[in-house]
Amino acid sequence: MTSIPSRADAVIVGAGIAGLCTALPLAKAGRTVVVLDRGAAWGDASGANAGTLSLQVKRPEVLHVTRRAIELWQAMRAELGADVGFAKPGGLRVATSEKELGMLRGSMAVQASLGLETEWLEGNRLRDAAPWLGPSVRAATWCDWDALSSPLLAGRALLAAARRRGVTVQDQAEVTAIAALDRGYRVTTAAGTVDCAQLVIAAGAWTGKVAALLGVDLPVDADVNMLSVTEPAPPLLDKVVTHMGGVLSLKQYPNGTVMIGGGWQGRGSHQSMRRETDHLNLLHNMRVACAIVPALKDLRLVRSWAGFEGVASDALPLLGALPGRPGAFVNACARGGYSQGPALGEQMAELMLTGRTSLDVARFDPARFAAAGAHA
Amino acid sequence: MMRVDLAVVGAGPAGLAAAAEAVTHGMTVALIDDNARPGGQYFRHVPPSFRRTAATAFDKDRARAEALFAITRHPQVTYLPEATVWDVPEPLTLAVAAGPRSGQVEAGAIVVAAGAHDRPVPFPGWTLPGVVSAGGVQNLIKGFRLVPGTRAAVAGNGPLLFLIGASLLRAGVAVAAVVEAAPIDRRLPAALPQLLAAPEILQQALDYRWALLRAGVPVLTGWAPVNAEGEDAVRAVQAAPIAEDGSVDRARARSFDCDLLVVGFGLVPSVELLRLAGAGLRFDRRRGGWLPERDEALETTRRNIFAAGDGTGIGGVELALIEGRRAAVEAAVQLSRIAPFAADEIRAGLRRRWKRLDRFRRGIEALFAPPKDFLALQTPQTVLCRCEEVTRQEIEERRAEGFRGAVQLKSTTRMGMGRCQGRNCMATLAALVAADSGASESAVALPKARAPARPIPIGDLLHETIPPPDLPADPHLPRKRRT
Repeated sequence: MTSIPSRADAVIVGAGIAGLCTALPLAKAGRTVVVLDRGAAWGDASGANAGTLSLQVKRPEVLHVTRRAIELWQAMRAELGADVGFAKPGGLRVATSEKELGMLRGSMAVQASLGLETEWLEGNRLRDAAPWLGPSVRAATWCDWDALSSPLLAGRALLAAARRRGVTVQDQAEVTAIAALDRGYRVTTAAGTVDCAQLVIAAGAWTGKVAALLGVDLPVDADVNMLSVTEPAPPLLDKVVTHMGGVLSLKQYPNGTVMIGGGWQGRGSHQSMRRETDHLNLLHNMRVACAIVPALKDLRLVRSWAGFEGVASDALPLLGALPGRPGAFVNACARGGYSQGPALGEQMAELMLTGRTSLDVARFDPARFAAAGAHA
Repeated sequence: MMRVDLAVVGAGPAGLAAAAEAVTHGMTVALIDDNARPGGQYFRHVPPSFRRTAATAFDKDRARAEALFAITRHPQVTYLPEATVWDVPEPLTLAVAAGPRSGQVEAGAIVVAAGAHDRPVPFPGWTLPGVVSAGGVQNLIKGFRLVPGTRAAVAGNGPLLFLIGASLLRAGVAVAAVVEAAPIDRRLPAALPQLLAAPEILQQALDYRWALLRAGVPVLTGWAPVNAEGEDAVRAVQAAPIAEDGSVDRARARSFDCDLLVVGFGLVPSVELLRLAGAGLRFDRRRGGWLPERDEALETTRRNIFAAGDGTGIGGVELALIEGRRAAVEAAVQLSRIAPFAADEIRAGLRRRWKRLDRFRRGIEALFAPPKDFLALQTPQTVLCRCEEVTRQEIEERRAEGFRGAVQLKSTTRMGMGRCQGRNCMATLAALVAADSGASESAVALPKARAPARPIPIGDLLHETIPPPDLPADPHLPRKRRT
């Protein structure tokens, strides 16, 4: 096993989307960076998520960072010199009940007030735009920003780019202790010890656990999101589909496989490390999917899985300096953190390099949780 | 939801025997099988619409097969053909996909008799049309009276090769060569005492070998196929000596013209369902790889889940019939359907025969023990994963980028992520990772078992009556779940 360097300008805990997208701009600015992962790099939420990059499905507080993120996703192929499976076919956010219609109208208005224009589709215009939608769909909003990428390709590309830029990415390096130095921190891991001036916790579901090593209490839980994928099929749906009630996400990849998600919960928890699919919720997920795109009935399901998604109690990202812990930062637990990752990483790196961010991320400041620093 | 005393997965020899035994103890049985007709691979037979014009190997077993098949019509048995068990939602509940009959089967006990499938071993040209698996050719002969060629070569590892060579001759096909990787002729004297434990099966094997000899078919032992040649279809196969360490002497290669290359490198127990049920597995390379751990009563590490037949390690039809019965007896004991003394009597009889056949099996395993691995057969262009068309070279490129373990190589190449979900290529990937890390294949961490155990039509999931979903009030907030 390779050993980690004994010192670095920055240590990032977590080799998922948040950690790697923070590491890359830091390395580009000339900083030495070590990224530590408790398991395999890209092995949890970043590798197990649906790859959806939907803008209109995001809550208003994160629209601006998600929009920036989709721009960065779009530029990633050129930036990294490798395909990340990005495509921007646009997306439909569907409503199937009276209540959802009301919610969709409300959401559309809020988004318009924030500068995101979507288009209301119903009746023949909706059928013309998406003849594959089932009769249960009453209306949808169309957003040409909605995109998708391949988590598997993106992981490979980001890891390769990080290594090319001299970033050390260390697998099987669970952090067991963090000690404050005069300036910076000493991070003890299962794979060795490293001193750093700046420390970023980008540990997704385990962010609370790592922050606790610094005596900081962050209210982090994890959803156990299920996803399913079909066999490759002829072209069936040509847009990203999301659902006003938040119970479905659907898209077809260029290889013909259809990814079916929607935040249906599997069983287990990030504490127990168990993440199993839940039979009943899988049936619900498939039924919702077939009600909205009936042609899915004829496809074969080849695999379902469950992945952890770290989420703060208010479901907003944790991004900023840890209060009372100079040089320590957190970038984690954004709802839909995969889609926002490139922008949140960029903002994190800006904050670490210059003390400022180009986007307004004040609402994501971890100091909003009163408990932070309680053990100081 | 159907409730039965015993759910039997697989209607091959072990499953049929288990069902037959169970009904004699008054148990209700659900017999669930992928195939349209009972019998599994061994008792595969032509559809009733076929007219028989000539006797075949199956006829010898016809009476025995018909007697076994009768259990599918027994009033205590619910026979579900063309049904796929795809999930184990509760410890003793199976989710079944079977068109409009789809739903759950809750059982007091389960016998998994899922059988085995061909072990694919990649070598140059193995994906050419005309290269067919041993199991596939047997299915065509048994189920359709069909041989997809006129001049065949048979290559690989294991006792099936001689059976297939002889069946091909009987079907009127010229056999160019039989190529067996294990140096069985050299090993035969040492294995003979064990093989004599079942002289009747040994006699069969010798008959096959004799038939090949009589027909003048070259039989190469300690040799392996190193290249299947042809543009649109196989035209010839090259074979070369292979050593115990897996190294291949290509300089001594010989070529055999053929329009059919039957490839069989032994059988792999189908353990997907047992993995999904959380049953403990152990690794035994000679017996097919990953096998369920079982106790004397054939119970897995999951209470009241039994495993029987080739799905627990290749043993053949006679052993499977005994194990099926034994598993059903033990299930009857667990469910208090049989008096202990009566169970002991049956056990004793089965045990004697089981021991004898198990001794024979060990002889066969010693005789046909494969080389360390078959990785030397591959070239950089060799396709390792057929579903996603991943070559050896792609694996090497990912390794050069720093991806090492089976899970990482899988996710960065898509090897094992296609239709077969790794059933055909994971063993190859594990062997590659093992060779790379110096660890044994058994130490290679494989991707988790996940539902569905087999691909299933999504439409099959729409039939069951289920409680209404618990929808989130605000989808952005953390969701409710069962832990």
